[in-house]
Amino acid sequence: MSRVRLLQRDETPVHARSIYAADGSASPLKRSLANAPDLLETLLPFLGQIFDEGAVDLATKELVVVRVSQLNGCRYCLAAHRPLALESGVLPEHLAAACNERPVAELPTRERAILEWVDRYLTDPHTIDDDLVARLLDYVRDDQLIELSLLIGATQLLNQYCTAFQVPPPA
Amino acid sequence: MTSDVLTNAVAEGRCGDRLWLYATYHCNLACVYCLTESRPGIANRRTLSRETMVRAASEARELGFTGLGVTGGEVFMLTDAAETVVGLGEILPTVVLTNATLFTERILRRLEPLAGADVVLQISLDSPEPSRNDTLRGPENFGRVATAVPALLERGIRVRLATTVADQSEDELGRLCELHRSWGVSDDDHLVRSVVRRGRAALEDMGVEPGPTDILPELTITADGAFLHPFAPTVRHGVTDLDLLVSRQINPLEAALGRFLRVVADQPVGTDVARNIR
Repeated sequence: MSRVRLLQRDETPVHARSIYAADGSASPLKRSLANAPDLLETLLPFLGQIFDEGAVDLATKELVVVRVSQLNGCRYCLAAHRPLALESGVLPEHLAAACNERPVAELPTRERAILEWVDRYLTDPHTIDDDLVARLLDYVRDDQLIELSLLIGATQLLNQYCTAFQVPPPA
Repeated sequence: MTSDVLTNAVAEGRCGDRLWLYATYHCNLACVYCLTESRPGIANRRTLSRETMVRAASEARELGFTGLGVTGGEVFMLTDAAETVVGLGEILPTVVLTNATLFTERILRRLEPLAGADVVLQISLDSPEPSRNDTLRGPENFGRVATAVPALLERGIRVRLATTVADQSEDELGRLCELHRSWGVSDDDHLVRSVVRRGRAALEDMGVEPGPTDILPELTITADGAFLHPFAPTVRHGVTDLDLLVSRQINPLEAALGRFLRVVADQPVGTDVARNIR
């Protein structure tokens, strides 16, 4: 049971109804955020920029989102992003590793380095050392590492929100 | 500047130049058609502090508004309502909607600075028949209004009457007009309007369903945020309707006004648009 109202289209402020599809549907997350339409004005474009394909390909981003959501135990975001990860091209075994269903050690070095970055960035960024950064920069440019890092933060934001407000996972 | 945009929007008929303030959702009555489910003992009173209202009014004047409306709930449930109303009237011409049932001698004395001020107390009265009126509005309502109106007029305080039409007949409304004329309230100071089908009225299956352009947009500030017009921040089953919310932010007022103006800019305007509910 969500701890905030999940607004239907006709309950939503008129100027915020663009979050709904033509059939009147919207994700539970958006329906909850519709209670704060002022924030939606900037939040949705921000999240779109962070989560959509940018300098980093979508598959890598989805792998990161799933890993962050797994570490935070966010039911909503795992339910939403595991299918998206597969659709975007994440291999099933990579997805399983990100969800601790297979050993991370079995991943290729690129994915392993990215998940290590996620784990340390999220849990204790003080433990990040030059060696890890150097290994990452073998696979991604510095601007891509920035993009991935902001993605970790944005995912954390949504994980905490969805968990605290008990936003029900999308059907 | 936002003030220029407001001035232009008013000139184009897109919105009014009055800022509405919902002082509180608390009320000593529980009218059957109440938009806000106001009643005695309500837990979530959604009260605006005096400081918030005075600050909003001052900003409103700077932004180009030319008047204020104060409503509720019952404004005079607030212990400092009299002083707040006097203060608001010093900032902009003000109309205060009230049921006029709380005007004790003490309150009337505190309202005396309103004599000659550009402040109107708009008092609700729905029927010349005490029992009919009180069925709609609450016990002893008629008698208290009949006492309050002359007392206010004697003190030089401007009074207007407002009648919300549910199922009153033409004859009944005619007799109501005779009554207010006998009190010294002119026809120009008597508003008659329909029950709007929102809030408790919607739950009671009463009133007129407002169309998207029936009501002139007028920026309306409540503790829940800023709304499109004073019929917008309604409550059903204790929950505020958000369909006509324009902004959660009310301070500074310019932020809410900016969002309000963006919403009204997208709405139709012109000779085809009739404002059927006032």
